[in-house]
Amino acid sequence: MDNRTAIIKQPDNISSFNDVYKLQKIYQEALILDNSNPDFIWIGEHQLCYTLGRGSNYDNLLFSLNEAKYDVFKIDRGGEVTCHMPGQLVTYLVLDLKNFNKDLNWYLRKIEEIIIKILGVFNINCHSRKGFTGVWIGNKKIASIGIGCKRWITINGFSINIDCELENFNKIVPCGIENCLMANMIDYNKNLNIQEVKRIVKKTIEEEFNFDFISK
Amino acid sequence: MSHEIFMPALSSTMTEGKIVEWLKNPGDKVERGESVLVVESDKADMDVESFQDGYLAAVLMPAGSTAPVGETIGLIVENEDEIASVQEQNKGNQPDVSSSAQLELVSDKTEEKPVVQSEIVEKQEKEVVLISEKAAPSFNTDQINAATSNVSSRIIASPRAKKLASQMGVDLAKVHGSGPHGRIQADDILKANGQPVSIPWIGQGDSPASIPGTNLGVENKPETSGNSFGDPGETVQFNTLQKAVNKNMESSLDVPCFRVGYSINTDKLDNFYKKVKQNGVTMTALLVKAVAKTLKKHPQVNSSFSENGISYPENINIAVAVAMEDGGLITPVLKEPCNTDLFELSREWKDLVKRSRSKQLEPDEYSTGTFTLSNLGMFGVDRFDAILPPGTGAILAIASSKPTVVANSDDSISVKKIMQVNLTADHRVIYGADGASFLKDLANLIENEPETLVS
Repeated sequence: MDNRTAIIKQPDNISSFNDVYKLQKIYQEALILDNSNPDFIWIGEHQLCYTLGRGSNYDNLLFSLNEAKYDVFKIDRGGEVTCHMPGQLVTYLVLDLKNFNKDLNWYLRKIEEIIIKILGVFNINCHSRKGFTGVWIGNKKIASIGIGCKRWITINGFSINIDCELENFNKIVPCGIENCLMANMIDYNKNLNIQEVKRIVKKTIEEEFNFDFISK
Repeated sequence: MSHEIFMPALSSTMTEGKIVEWLKNPGDKVERGESVLVVESDKADMDVESFQDGYLAAVLMPAGSTAPVGETIGLIVENEDEIASVQEQNKGNQPDVSSSAQLELVSDKTEEKPVVQSEIVEKQEKEVVLISEKAAPSFNTDQINAATSNVSSRIIASPRAKKLASQMGVDLAKVHGSGPHGRIQADDILKANGQPVSIPWIGQGDSPASIPGTNLGVENKPETSGNSFGDPGETVQFNTLQKAVNKNMESSLDVPCFRVGYSINTDKLDNFYKKVKQNGVTMTALLVKAVAKTLKKHPQVNSSFSENGISYPENINIAVAVAMEDGGLITPVLKEPCNTDLFELSREWKDLVKRSRSKQLEPDEYSTGTFTLSNLGMFGVDRFDAILPPGTGAILAIASSKPTVVANSDDSISVKKIMQVNLTADHRVIYGADGASFLKDLANLIENEPETLVS
């Protein structure tokens, strides 16, 4: 398969969830209109916020929406509520699956595989669990996945907890799984930092999807 | 004219999807390419778009419900003035979506028909009682359906029934609907127009998965003239279809055929079938898929004799023999099953059976088979052999799958479901070893990897 051009953006500062979401939408629309447009990858961190998929159950939000303390977004992805915050690395992939495999199950499994490879670089053993999309270390969840798709152009992606305040997950039922325990990468490898993980995320995605990256 | 919105397959392994949200309400204008609803499978969701400009006329599966891949979940019409009539037609379907969807799925399995019918009667009895506060213990289905449609004083008919009615000039108001809630089906129009409704009762059975004895299609066959087409002492002329079959069968006498048989353990296949059955998969589609996949590895068994030599067809097309109730048989063809997923294949098969019933098959839909299946499993037969149709090299006869005491290679004894298959082949092009190795691979596929039949 020929390499495909993808635009990659990896800001060092903390980014507003809404701005990045809008940016993804722009790239998705562009690909829908003309499939010769490039794919788009974004790797970065957000301020504390909670996001829900279109089918999410609001009961999994353990605080009142009127409590204006946190930002809550309802977005185009599958899955239940999750949480983003500094110290968690978020990766969004706006890809045209028509160039890979028109199969969302394949795509979810591919993302799990990619995350497992990334953590492997840091000597962290982790695994997928059948029926519980995401990546796990024992019974603790280290990475979450949520995908939206329109005409086989994907949006959203995955988040890996690196060194973040896991208490923020206590205000929700993460992914709709009761008593779901979360984990940070730093607990399994003291010597890593988020910039290093970011570099490996970029490299792994580049290899796994045969991308030629253009930085923006 | 209305267009159906189907539950899409978001992946090759997906059997059903959840409707997350309808982005449009019935009556809303939709543009081609505009998202109409969102479907979710696992952690991924997908926008489902409209393929034409028009109006969303009906939502057949509400948000939050789960539907098998390929199920009709909504209807789009081209003109605004069609909305009302489509909504009327589908009103009966909407409140109890899940149960009517299930009825739809099993309704073409002849042996289960009596059960389905009585369920409908029960449901409608309740409805009649509810509406008219009048018990209807002795009503037959027709009366109840008539009562239901009188009470509601509107005509509910399937789109196909409406089309047929207008083609045949049948007045819908005078037709008794036999479908759920008195819905008028295509068969009702045929009946009203005086055409015999022929239900094929071979080749669409459940052979391996069902227990012999509980589903003897013959006994359940509704109100037919028994097993003969004429009265004692009478000689009845062959109909056109019977004549055609006679000619085909006679031509096989010029072909040097041999037979080779195999016993296949169907335990795994039965389990797999139980899982996918609820998604509309038929046993015929499973068997066709298994045979086509094996033929791909054995092109010799897909070949046929011609004056110029061994002829290898470009495609693998599986014909399946379907007996017609008024005599004769027809062999609807599932084209290129290897390129069609199991769910689509099951839908195609149901459609072919439906249309062979009303004798609406196009010639290329029954004459392009490169290999034929004949399944008598639903009658509980333990073995039979089939006659080779002209122009092809082989036909596979499939018998019933029965619990059988089996001696295993480690000298232990166990009970396994065993299905006998018997290949009849033209020895000019297919030799014993070809047939035997084909059957060995077919058995291996069915016994060990039935789940690979999905795609």
